[in-house]
Amino acid sequence: MRRNPLPPAAPAAPIPVKAGVGLRFPHHKSVLAGEARAAWFEVHPENYLGDGVIPDILERVRRDFPVSLHATGLSLGSADGIDADHLAAIVALAGRIQPGLISDHLSWSSAGGVHLPDLLPLPYTREAQDVFVRNIDRVQTALRRPILIENPSAYLAWAHSEMREGEFLAGLARRSGCGVLLDINNVAVSAANLGEDPAVRLHQMLDALPAAAVGEIHLAGHAVRECADGGHVHIDDHGSPVNEDVWDLYADTIRRIGPRPALIEWDTAIPAFARLADEARTADDVMATALEVRHAAAG
Amino acid sequence: MLPLAEQQGHFSQAVLSGEVPAGLLAGPISPAEALSIHRDTIMGALANALRLSYPTVETLVGEEFFDQTCRVFARENLPNTACLARYGEGFADFLAEFAPAAALTYLADVARLDRAVETVLRGSTREQRFALDAKAFLALPQGLAVLPLMSPADEIRAAIGDDPALARIDTAPAERFILVWRRDCDAVVQRVSAMAGRFLLSLLAGEGAETAFRAALAGASPTEALCAIQAEIFAAPFCTVIPTLEESSP
Repeated sequence: MRRNPLPPAAPAAPIPVKAGVGLRFPHHKSVLAGEARAAWFEVHPENYLGDGVIPDILERVRRDFPVSLHATGLSLGSADGIDADHLAAIVALAGRIQPGLISDHLSWSSAGGVHLPDLLPLPYTREAQDVFVRNIDRVQTALRRPILIENPSAYLAWAHSEMREGEFLAGLARRSGCGVLLDINNVAVSAANLGEDPAVRLHQMLDALPAAAVGEIHLAGHAVRECADGGHVHIDDHGSPVNEDVWDLYADTIRRIGPRPALIEWDTAIPAFARLADEARTADDVMATALEVRHAAAG
Repeated sequence: MLPLAEQQGHFSQAVLSGEVPAGLLAGPISPAEALSIHRDTIMGALANALRLSYPTVETLVGEEFFDQTCRVFARENLPNTACLARYGEGFADFLAEFAPAAALTYLADVARLDRAVETVLRGSTREQRFALDAKAFLALPQGLAVLPLMSPADEIRAAIGDDPALARIDTAPAERFILVWRRDCDAVVQRVSAMAGRFLLSLLAGEGAETAFRAALAGASPTEALCAIQAEIFAAPFCTVIPTLEESSP
C-alpha cells in the first residue's frame, strides 16, 4: 500500500527542469558575489548543519537560487535505524532552507554505534527492504514530505540478494511513497564493476521503475583504475567531466522518461565554476536534443 | 543468512580490517579489492574532515604526512555521527603524543587553535551574561574561546605562507592566552595578557567575578590586573558591559 507523507510544513522553491550544479565550499564566495550562477544548486546538508557561518551562507544562496539537499549520512539502510539527532538537524536545516528536493542513497553507513562515511552496499532482500521502508517512513514523517532515493555505485554484490536494484527501488517507491534519484554515472560504474552492460542495466532499472517516480537525475565523471590482478575498477570519484558513455545513457533516459532536473556533481579536484557551468549547459543541450527525438517518435 | 544487523556489523568490521566476509559474489573486481575501495573512501572522508578543521596543521606538515597522520588517528577514533564537522575533537591531544611529530612541539597547540577557529565559526552568536557586581553584567558571545597555550600558535597561524616570518618565531614554551571570537563571517584570533586570559577562563568556567579577578592577579598588582581587564576585555568589540538596571528592566 502506498502511503503519502504529510504535506511540507511550508512552500519550497521547486527545482526547475534544467541542469543544476553541486555547490561546494570553493565556490561559495563567487556564488554569493553573483559571479557564479546556475539554474539551481544542490548541497550535502551534512556540511551545513548547526549554527554559525556555514548555514548562513547556504541561506544567502537560497535567497537567489532553488536549492536541493542531497544527504549522505541518514544511513537509511541501517538495521540500527535512524540517528535521531542527525535527523533532527536535517529537519532543522530543511525548515530553514526550504529545499525543492531532499534525497539520500540506497545504502547504509552506521552499524553498532559507528558511522563509516561511505555508501555501503545493501543486500537486496525483503528484510533489507522492510528496514529501508521503515527508515524512510521515519524521515518522511519528520520532514513532512517525500524524499528521493539514489542508486549508489556498486563495487561488489551480495550473493543472497533476492531482487535487482531497480526492483528494490520500485518496491521502496510503492511502499513508502518516496521517489527515485537516478544517478546515471552510478549505473555506468556499477555495470562496469559487476560485469554488466551499462545500457542493459539502465533499461532494466527503467523497466522496473514507474517513470513518474524518477524525480531527479545525477551526472558526474568517474575514474578507471588498474587493479593488482590487471583488471580495471571504475571509481565513482566525481573528479572529472561526465564520461561520453554517461552522456549517451542520459540521452537514452530522457528519450524514455521525458525531462527531469539534472545535476552536475564534481567533488574532487574541483575546477573553476565556469567548467561546471559548461557541463550544465551540455546537460541542457543533451536533454533538448533527446526531447526532440522523443517528441518526433511520439508523433 | 544472518539478520541484517549482524551482516552490517560484520561488513563494517571487514571493511576496516580487509578480511573478506562470507556472502559476497565474485565479480570482475575481487571482494578484497572492493573492500579496499570502501576503506579508502572512508579514510579519505575522515582525512578530509580533519583537513577542514585543521588547515594550519596540514600546511605545516604537508599533505602526505597529514593524510598518514589522519589515517592513524581515524583507525582509533571512528565517528559516531554523520556530521563530520564535529569529528576529530581529540586530534590535538593525539598530535601531542604522536611520535612521528614529536619534533614539532608546537603542533598540538596549532591544532587547538585551528579547532577553536572552526568551532567559533560554526558556533552560536548568542550572548551569555555574567554578573560583575551589583551594578553591572558582562555580555560575551557564547562562541568566545579562551585558549591557554604553551606555543605561539597565533603567530604561527598568522605567518603561514611567509617562511622567513615563520622561521623568526620563538617557539620556546611559555604561557600564552589566545582569544578566538567571531566577527561577521570571520574568526578573530587575538593574544591577550595572562591577567585578561585568566580572568576570562575563570569566568567562563562558572566562577564569580570576584574569584575570576583573584585568578587574574597571579603575581600582578590589583591595579595592573584591573587595567588589563578593562582594556583587553571590557573595551573589546566582543564584550558589552551592561548596567544592572538595563538587565532587569522589561
